[in-house]
Amino acid sequence: MSVYKHDYRAYTGRVTPLWWRVLVLARYGLSEIWSSKITIGLFILSMLPSIVFLILIYLANNPLARALIMRGNQQPLPMNAEFFLVVLEIQCWAALVINAWIAPRLITFDLADNAMPILLSHPISRFGYVLGKFAALFGSLSLVTWVPCLLLFAYQAYVSPQGWLGTNAQIASGLFIGSLLWIGWMTFLGLALSSWVKWRVVATGIIIAAVFVPAGVGGIVTGILRTRWGFLLNVPVSMTQLWARLLGKREFMGPNLSLPSGAIVTMLVLVSLACVAILNARIRAREVVRG
Amino acid sequence: MGVIDLDRLEVRLGGRVVLDGLTGELRGNAIGLLGPNGAGKSTLINTLLGFHEPSRGTARVFGLDAVRDRARIRQSIGYMPENDSFIGNMNGVRFVRYMAELAGLPAREALERAHEALFYVGLGEVRYRKISTYSLGMKQLIKLAQALAHGPRLLILDEPTNGLDPVARQRMIQTIKEIRKEGSIRLLISSHLLRDIDETCDEVLILKDGRIAALCNIEEERRSHRNFIELETFGAADAFAEKMRELGCECACFPGGRVKLIMPDKIEARDLYATAAKQGVQIRRIHQRRDSLEDIFLRAMDNNRDSEWKRGELVSL
Repeated sequence: MSVYKHDYRAYTGRVTPLWWRVLVLARYGLSEIWSSKITIGLFILSMLPSIVFLILIYLANNPLARALIMRGNQQPLPMNAEFFLVVLEIQCWAALVINAWIAPRLITFDLADNAMPILLSHPISRFGYVLGKFAALFGSLSLVTWVPCLLLFAYQAYVSPQGWLGTNAQIASGLFIGSLLWIGWMTFLGLALSSWVKWRVVATGIIIAAVFVPAGVGGIVTGILRTRWGFLLNVPVSMTQLWARLLGKREFMGPNLSLPSGAIVTMLVLVSLACVAILNARIRAREVVRG
Repeated sequence: MGVIDLDRLEVRLGGRVVLDGLTGELRGNAIGLLGPNGAGKSTLINTLLGFHEPSRGTARVFGLDAVRDRARIRQSIGYMPENDSFIGNMNGVRFVRYMAELAGLPAREALERAHEALFYVGLGEVRYRKISTYSLGMKQLIKLAQALAHGPRLLILDEPTNGLDPVARQRMIQTIKEIRKEGSIRLLISSHLLRDIDETCDEVLILKDGRIAALCNIEEERRSHRNFIELETFGAADAFAEKMRELGCECACFPGGRVKLIMPDKIEARDLYATAAKQGVQIRRIHQRRDSLEDIFLRAMDNNRDSEWKRGELVSL
């Protein structure tokens, strides 16, 4: 089927393995994400806190520079779990904003013009489709969560006195696991809610609302019923508790209000499973052409 | 081995039987899938693609089971859905390349074939435009291009001329004919437009209420009905038709005294006039012609028999 002949010819060349198609979806997903200038702007903004933290780590480990820049303030900057909890929190909330913007881009374009029947008529299953989109979103969110967090930790370990790394190794694992839990949960949430609506702006709003509206409801439940379990709906509070424990920081809420880690993880898993069920139902409903 | 083998295929959707015991072997190079709305055409296509699981029986494409070998079947199929189905914010070449890569082509080959497929269907000049800016005809063609790009063995076209103006329709039909002529691709064309099927297909499967109403080779069917006569009569056309049936003709009566009949070789034209005279029927016009797909379709639609269809068998008039 050469261009000058305009004639059809069958394809007889090599065919990629089935698992490769998931990577094709992920690659096109990443390409879609990064084709937006707003996405690039958001990623640049999300890197700014990391640069500030990088400078703080430099200052904390360089008394001369600290004396020059922070004149009159000779208090050392503690590089501990508390510092890295702030790093993790800021990066994770930046990831939420980015997720709310890019998750709809991955799904709603496929839904808006009814592309599912064509996409899924190829040798790719619903699971493969979701996995491809998940990989693209998870990979992008990694760039603003555990990757910068661990890079900052690595820099701190490099410039700090010997022994710091050994005594603070839990922080690294906490940063990594805490980030994975958060972006995994957010990815499912973002994809599921994006599959529910055709309009990207609406999907973005719904993703943000899905985190903060239940938090308000949880606060009301906690206030009225005087029970700590209302905080389970309050993702910002429950995640902060979980991150603090993973990093080895002492509890910031009283024992009457703090939630067991198992309950928080169970809540994350249950919401993720519900999101998978929503995704499956929505894609299944759209995989065939409805007259 | 047929292109598509159906064995007592039953598909239920929402508890309702949509395809009811379809049995048949489709062997043609270009198979037409005909039937009124709701007959089960799209459900059959979706079942072949593995979107619906049969509640009973099996469907096979090139000998592969539609459920177990779903991925392999999809690998060898190019599917052009009926409705709009594309990614509007992609340009043409990127969309077709994406689909070709999903079908298993390596990235470089997919890009090359995407360009070629777009030129082949006549979208070469607009391949860098966003699909959302395409006209309706262009959108139909981009669906065809993506279905062709990976070089499928079977091309499934669901209402390919839907919404096209006469010129665009003719171009689409011409493209389909060229694909058929090339010979490396089998075609399954679903349509409710008899003319499209008539122009492009050599075999037809007619569905009615989820059952096979007819399955026949169009050319063979035409050859076997050379003695097809259309009459315009005045008088008791029903009684005349009944008498002709007794003589061994297949007859169908239509409003306005129109009678269509197929005369066996032993019956001659004089028998026709003699019978008409006995019944007091005037024959005002007689027209001998080839059986059209419309006639095959109408006879199939008239058929109320529950018996299973055998290849080549036509419904009695």
